[in-house]
Amino acid sequence: MDKNGTETFNSILEYISPELSKKLWKIPDYIKKNAEEIRLRKEKPLMIFGGGTEYFLMNEGSVSKKEKGALITTHEDLVRTFQLISRYSVYAFEEEMRSGFITLKGGHRVGIAGKTVYGAKGIESIRDISSLNMRIGREKKGISDNIMKFIIIPPDSIFNTLIVSPPQCGKTTLLRDMIRNISNGMEEYDFRGLKVGLVDERSEIGGVYNGVAQNDLGIRTDILDGCLKSDGITILIRAMSPQVVATDELGDYKDINAVHEALRAGVRLISTVHGKDIEDLLSKKSLSWIIEEKIFERIIFLDNSKGVGTVRDIVEGYSFNSVLNREKY
Amino acid sequence: MIILRIIGSLLIVTSSSLIGYIYGKKYSDRLNNILHMKNCVRLLETEIIYGANPIPEAFLNIYNKGNKKFSFIFKYIRDYLFQNKNANLLDGFLSVEDVLKEELLFKKEDVEVFLSLGRMLGNSDRSDQEKNFKLIFMEIGNLEEEAREEKEKNEKVYKNLGLLFGVALVIILL
Repeated sequence: MDKNGTETFNSILEYISPELSKKLWKIPDYIKKNAEEIRLRKEKPLMIFGGGTEYFLMNEGSVSKKEKGALITTHEDLVRTFQLISRYSVYAFEEEMRSGFITLKGGHRVGIAGKTVYGAKGIESIRDISSLNMRIGREKKGISDNIMKFIIIPPDSIFNTLIVSPPQCGKTTLLRDMIRNISNGMEEYDFRGLKVGLVDERSEIGGVYNGVAQNDLGIRTDILDGCLKSDGITILIRAMSPQVVATDELGDYKDINAVHEALRAGVRLISTVHGKDIEDLLSKKSLSWIIEEKIFERIIFLDNSKGVGTVRDIVEGYSFNSVLNREKY
Repeated sequence: MIILRIIGSLLIVTSSSLIGYIYGKKYSDRLNNILHMKNCVRLLETEIIYGANPIPEAFLNIYNKGNKKFSFIFKYIRDYLFQNKNANLLDGFLSVEDVLKEELLFKKEDVEVFLSLGRMLGNSDRSDQEKNFKLIFMEIGNLEEEAREEKEKNEKVYKNLGLLFGVALVIILL
């Protein structure tokens, strides 16, 4: 697992300009393992973010928490890096550019900021790239194994589940692993695998690259990649007869309507939202709607208190009583 | 003695004809190579405009599908880019400049048109790439015409010249 961490980091370096990647190779392993983002900004220091800490890359290839002596990303670095990411082919990534990110092999995502060019159909492309944010996708198999017993109803159903956490606390990673478990089934709980339909609006869960999901999502998972949740849920229900529909980041009313449609079709749901706690969810209009309707029977709260992806609590969606703590004591 | 003379004269005539033929063939070779280039660029256009394949894959496909007499150039460029991550696409094109001149008998203007492909490729969206391809096809068309004219004018001249020179030499020596 640990070894895997540095290898994942090294694999992303092949997309970074040689000048920078040579130095990034040299940084200590513990930073490589925990790194979540590598941020390149034009004429600004290169930063590595991971485990809640920000590191600056120094000129000689070490890292520091202080800005002094940090390596500055040049225009050439950005151009070269973008060339490697887009593989010299802007035309091949038109659609991706429009949504502001490109998915790399391995499921990593690169966010792009620069000058947006508008056309008749909205954003046409992004030019004069000024920032690149390379988010290292880490597949952590097995992280949901311990909590699956709170989610599944053996032999062949699950509770409608919502994962709630602030950004960068491992929502998507957890969701991904839960999908894998639901799809494969879990023998220890006599739980049969279910057909999962995944709407992966931002290509973040499956990390689909050239039509192949780069992350293990189980053997019974159908992925609708890059599709709007509102459209995707409908399509999946009609076309793929899923038993469970999974999506990331529920937000606006359209999503909520689609969720209702899924429930009408008798499909189980598993999803995530940004938020801290129940109060926070209830303060958001569109979300308070589904929370008050008691659609979700299990709500998982994550935070960073003991490292990324700490499961703070799992509550029952009806009474908001903790099921996790009940188990413990 | 006479037999020796005849053999000597024949040798002179054949070799000078051969020299003339080789000189003349350069013109038809250049034309053929331009035509091969045109076909490869056409394949490239399909790869990019209709397939939206990234350059490395597109180049490999062209190498496989196209006439190897020219398509090997694309493989060269692809390999160059893999080995030199610091290079941009134009550098890749520049790396084959000498091969174009020496092996494919390209003239300066032919090389320039090929390099202009390297300057525009992959820099913009599909509709813009399409426009650029049109321009490049027009330029290749001009080169083709010019190469054809040159071939017709010079190929025969060199071949005949070689033969005549040989014959003249034989007559003088006799």
